Amino acid sequence: MKPFSEMRDEELAAALRSLRPEPSPAFAAELDQRAAAGFPRRSPQGARNPFARFLAWLRNGSMMRLLIPAGGVAVAAIAVATVMVAGSNSGSADSEVATSAESVEMSGSESTAVGGSADLAPLTKQAAPEAAAGAEAAPAEEANESSSIQVEPQVFNGAGNGGAAVTAPHRDVERASQITIGTKPGEVGEASSEVFETVHRYDGIVLNSSTQNGSGTQAEANFELLIPSGKVGDAMAAFSRIGEVVNRHETTTDITAPTVGAGERLQDSQARIEGLLAQLSEATSDTEREVVEAELASERRHAANLKAKLSNLHRRANLSHVSVRIVSGKGALSPGGSDKDESWGIGSALDDAGHLLSVAAGVTIVALAVLAPLLLLLVLAWLAGRAWTRRARERALT
Amino acid sequence: MMDAAWRRSTRMSQAGALLATPTEKPREADLAFDDLYRSSRDDVYAYVAGLLRDAAAAEEVTAIAFERAYRKRSRFDRRRGEPRAWLFGIARNAALDELRRRGRQAELAAEPEDLAAVPAVESAEQSERRLALNAGLATLAPRDRELIALKFFAGLANAEIATVLGISESNAGTRLHRALTKLREACDEAL
Repeated sequence: MKPFSEMRDEELAAALRSLRPEPSPAFAAELDQRAAAGFPRRSPQGARNPFARFLAWLRNGSMMRLLIPAGGVAVAAIAVATVMVAGSNSGSADSEVATSAESVEMSGSESTAVGGSADLAPLTKQAAPEAAAGAEAAPAEEANESSSIQVEPQVFNGAGNGGAAVTAPHRDVERASQITIGTKPGEVGEASSEVFETVHRYDGIVLNSSTQNGSGTQAEANFELLIPSGKVGDAMAAFSRIGEVVNRHETTTDITAPTVGAGERLQDSQARIEGLLAQLSEATSDTEREVVEAELASERRHAANLKAKLSNLHRRANLSHVSVRIVSGKGALSPGGSDKDESWGIGSALDDAGHLLSVAAGVTIVALAVLAPLLLLLVLAWLAGRAWTRRARERALT
Repeated sequence: MMDAAWRRSTRMSQAGALLATPTEKPREADLAFDDLYRSSRDDVYAYVAGLLRDAAAAEEVTAIAFERAYRKRSRFDRRRGEPRAWLFGIARNAALDELRRRGRQAELAAEPEDLAAVPAVESAEQSERRLALNAGLATLAPRDRELIALKFFAGLANAEIATVLGISESNAGTRLHRALTKLREACDEAL
């Protein structure tokens, strides 16, 4: 028999073709039946447990089958996030107005844009220079006058534990507040009247006022007021109720040091005056008397100056400066604010739609920023899985 | 679903596209797949059986291959190759998955005679040559046996083999030549 190495290629090919495996008639018939039925799905091997069945479903499923629910979930998530963000935005806007109107319940700080009156009230007790023992470091009184309040924490905490409040040093605090109230043009006059009533109710002083009435959009009023510091919180709350608070700002300045310094110097000056008076009564010559009287006159002028300065400081501590501005016209009232007479129209709807779209765009950008890396990771994982599968298949042949 | 298509496909010319392009109507795509199935059923089985050397496993894998191809028929892209090469690529993946699952690397396990049924009339020399060829195929590496199965059992051209294996046509020819050389040596040793 001729060896295979000496066989021609055609002979070897024919020999190999004669070995070609043929499907059994039973299998061929069964496969033809399945083909005629459109290859109905069989339960995959080893797919008894749900996870294996899910994997088989993923493997056999088309991309559309995965993309449609994934896209639906993504759209629903974006919609929910948009509604939540829009809701929180409108909520915060409402709360701004609400907190403006309820300033009495706000906690205070050195300089607050909104609120901050109630807790600061204890700071505005009347000046008591002799009690401010800790204010020796006040030689540069003018420089410290404008410094912001630096109050020890226990001053505030004392309200909660009684005794500490009694022993805490008293501070003199000057307060200044500005508030802008929005109202309709035709109601500026009425609002101005309410300002006057409020000032009167809280024993305040109107330093100056100007009111420009009219039905146009330029109606406005301005008030410069002095309100007793102990009542300024309540007064501000009352001002806030007159209309819609457009802007509110409060500042506090600690003037304890200059007050204490002026008081001490006044005491020294009075002591010197008493000494000069005693010296004057004991003077024996006209010359000596004239010298003492000249010194006495100079010291009295100095004492008068100190007294005036101390009085001014006490007035600044006792009376807070309040600026009230009433504005009207476009921009003075926010949509949905106190301007309830104006109906919600197409312009408002367009504004709302624009706002909603901008919020939706923002949420979409944030969502994409989160999803993009995840999608990239998924794509990389998918590519790595494909490469691994391909290599594993090739390894099966080696 | 496919009965009507099946009957009509017998009247259709085998020339031209075996699969419809994705832009064609689904019905036409089904008809094209029917043609592909009819023209390739036995070839796919022969390739898979030659690679796996297990009749039962070959039947299972052949069925899986056609099932997968049917599901993916709308995703076929003619620009990436001929329908037969595409179908054999799917069959190859299914066969290799089976090999991986079994972890037996296409070892000749059993039923070799089932794969090459003994002809009714055969001389002693023919019988001896057939046995030697079977023994030679059994000793070949699975990668070489796959090439021989694709070429002589499935009847693929070198270009189609290259597409299925993802190699160049010249590389496919070279590998095939080497596999045949190894087969000759193995068969001579078996004689």
